Amino acid sequence: MYARRRFAVLKNLLEYVGIEPGRLHFSWISSAEATKFQETVIEVTDAVKALGPAKHMIKDIRKVA
Amino acid sequence: MEAIAQGIREAAKKLLSQGAVDCVIGFAQGTVPMRDYPYFAYTPEEADNLTWSRFCCNNLSNFLVRREMGEAGKVAIVAQGCVSRNIVGLIKENQITREQVHIIGVASPGMVDRGKVQALFPLKTITEVTEDGEDLVVKGKDFEERVPTKKVLRQNCYTCVQRNPVIVDEMIGEESEATHGGNIDKVAAPWEKLMPEERWEAFSESIKDCIRCYACRDACPLCYCHVCFVDEARPQWCGKTQDEADVATFHILRAFHCAGRCTDCGACESACPVGIKMRGFTSKIEKDIRELYGYAPGMDLEEEPPLSVYKPNDPQEFIK
Amino acid sequence: MSENTQFTPRIAAFLCNWCSYGAADLAGVSRLQYPPNIHVIRIPCTGRMSPKFILQAFRQGVDGVWVSG
Repeated sequence: MYARRRFAVLKNLLEYVGIEPGRLHFSWISSAEATKFQETVIEVTDAVKALGPAKHMIKDIRKVA
Repeated sequence: MEAIAQGIREAAKKLLSQGAVDCVIGFAQGTVPMRDYPYFAYTPEEADNLTWSRFCCNNLSNFLVRREMGEAGKVAIVAQGCVSRNIVGLIKENQITREQVHIIGVASPGMVDRGKVQALFPLKTITEVTEDGEDLVVKGKDFEERVPTKKVLRQNCYTCVQRNPVIVDEMIGEESEATHGGNIDKVAAPWEKLMPEERWEAFSESIKDCIRCYACRDACPLCYCHVCFVDEARPQWCGKTQDEADVATFHILRAFHCAGRCTDCGACESACPVGIKMRGFTSKIEKDIRELYGYAPGMDLEEEPPLSVYKPNDPQEFIK
Repeated sequence: MSENTQFTPRIAAFLCNWCSYGAADLAGVSRLQYPPNIHVIRIPCTGRMSPKFILQAFRQGVDGVWVSG
């Protein structure tokens, strides 16, 4: 519940700076909802697949060193 | 402005000679034009150095945290709107108690962005800047010009909604209701219209000059953690390089740590040596908090901080 | 398109011990099939979740982050 407020602000901020909305997912799943878990994994994977590999925010050691 | 400075000096002298406070935190005139610096007056004589002008860009509430209190156990502080809002925030976060501070309130005239003044006189050395009513008189070696202050205020002073102190023990000068007419929502607005790809470009462009000096953090009265997340080494959340990912992590997390607490005092932007506009990120969060939870930081001593409470019907469209 | 079909994303999944982690366990017991791209990280509660974790995950090169309570 506290986390919900935190995530609401964080998700807005990350989208604001340019992380694609489909890269970050939140969900509520109870421990009895195995089917919902399965469905959500598929949904999340599909969304990230559609976006392709991440381009931002990755620390490239080769560039730094 | 000089009348207010005189009022501050008199109030400070009175408090110090009575022994009511250990120290008065205010501003003294800097040795370089437009750079008035924070000043701690411990004796009535030192109080003569206090001043008040449109060049007081630091947020003085920064110096209240972790102060060792002397005999009186109390310090006095000169506070305008945003500083008093930060004091409210510090009281709410149990960093200080209301009894420990004596607030000498002043209405904020709107502070001058010295970068903007310098930009008006490219390649020239400004040797003296004085205030004359609503104008600044800028003097150099072979020129003297008047600049209206309204043109060279800091960006956050245009969008200020609270020029008068929220809590106050004694008020110097008149309260001022007028605003400079800016709208804070517009600070975040230009980016919100962009597509995700363009947003990242705009974001990385805006932070590309960052040299990771942490002046923004040190100038901020909200950043009082003993160990900041950027200094943590195990685990290391944020590398110490100037790699885009590290700089982005620093700015995103710094902005996020100010969520629901930032009063838009502009001390971070004034402190930045390379002119990064970090208010672009904090104002976005401020807007979100206001729209989602109807909260404005530091306005009320009683109201609970937005991220420390919840309501069952908080928005949750983003959660599956 | 061929690039996308070959692309196997790496997703950091932060699962609450009491909710989604249990659901993942139940999904396993029930033999429900789901994509193998998620890397499960168990957290004691969604309240433990910090923005640092999400940014750290992105910084280390994951393609997506999923937080589930």
